[in-house]
Amino acid sequence: MTSGRYAIGLARAFGGAILFGIPLLMTMEMWSLGFSMGRGRLLLLLTFTLLVLVGLSYFSGFEKTFSLKEDVMDALAAFGVGVITSAALLMVLAAISLEMTWGEIVGRVALQSVPAGIGAMLGRKQLGAGQDMDAEEERKREAGYGGELFLMLAGALFLAFNMAPTEEMILIAFQMTPWHGLALGVLSITLLHVFVYSIGFSGQESPPEGGSFLSTFLHFTLTGYAIALLVSLYVLWTFGRTDGVSLAEIANMLVVLGFPASLGAATARLVV
Amino acid sequence: MKREHGTGDMRAAKPKPQVPWLEWLAAGLGLIFALGLFGMIGWQAFNGATVPPAVTVEVEDIARIDGGYRVLFRARNGAGEAAAQVEIEGIVSGPEFKAETSRVVLDYIPGRSTRRGGLFFTRDPRSGALDVRATGFAEP
Repeated sequence: MTSGRYAIGLARAFGGAILFGIPLLMTMEMWSLGFSMGRGRLLLLLTFTLLVLVGLSYFSGFEKTFSLKEDVMDALAAFGVGVITSAALLMVLAAISLEMTWGEIVGRVALQSVPAGIGAMLGRKQLGAGQDMDAEEERKREAGYGGELFLMLAGALFLAFNMAPTEEMILIAFQMTPWHGLALGVLSITLLHVFVYSIGFSGQESPPEGGSFLSTFLHFTLTGYAIALLVSLYVLWTFGRTDGVSLAEIANMLVVLGFPASLGAATARLVV
Repeated sequence: MKREHGTGDMRAAKPKPQVPWLEWLAAGLGLIFALGLFGMIGWQAFNGATVPPAVTVEVEDIARIDGGYRVLFRARNGAGEAAAQVEIEGIVSGPEFKAETSRVVLDYIPGRSTRRGGLFFTRDPRSGALDVRATGFAEP
């Protein structure tokens, strides 16, 4: 490993940060959430993101890692790439300017650095030449059930985070009847199951040994959906969408956001 | 960017490879950014970020334009919490004409920040009394 090869990895990280960050960089709600959301929640979100980045680095960083120290270093580097990319692009898009107070600028950049940081971490896999694929597959196998669940969580977080800031999530929840909600929930679970276990993706999870449909369904699909819902709840809470809202309405929002979240959980193995 | 960096010799090499200086630099910068952001956001959290909005409006410029007059103002939110949908209302009143009211809604004024806007009048605001103020806001 030389600085030269690391530089290539860094360049891919910047590419990933732009590619995965661009939808939210151009989302209006993200700019206002950056300064209006609770500071404590923003801090918690950044901490959570750093932890997820450490985990993602283990499975697929922009370089092969050998120790927790390296995973932490990679997570920090990806976060730094996310911050630089966010700040530069927000500046070009005139979403931050030097006339603003530093509090506003910091809030906007910090919030955008979450998707951009995750994108930086995924950049290598998506834009790279695909080296060390075997090693990655080996790690995913070694990590076992816990690793599977972590990847689902990361995938759910990324997709839920991409949708949750928009007003549409709430609007959809408001206009749905309970029957729509039930239908969307069933559709989410079905797709989650079909995506991961029935279609022949690369890196596809083979059903657990002796795994009947039912045990696979209980072990992975239902757990995956539960993770998707929990991640959705966390993201909605982070953005203050649940404050003062009745439980029934929160349930509706969860089902709505749980749909992209479960797709994210299902396809995480492909992206990571 | 040659492809012959076989995965085999990478793994067969020493288990503790040397960390390149660029990696230290990137990780170090990332750490500085992370700590910087945490510090600044944390500082806000303990310095009145939860004080509800208080918006004051200051008239910056009055000019004659085609079809009337334009009043530029600057609205400042002096508290820590952001205000959404801030309505700014301006009233021109004089002894010899009916009072004229103009309104505009500012989408957001972040905490301790200012936003600029303008109001249009048909009467000359300098001919009578001009009163510009914020009438209300919504929580974001």
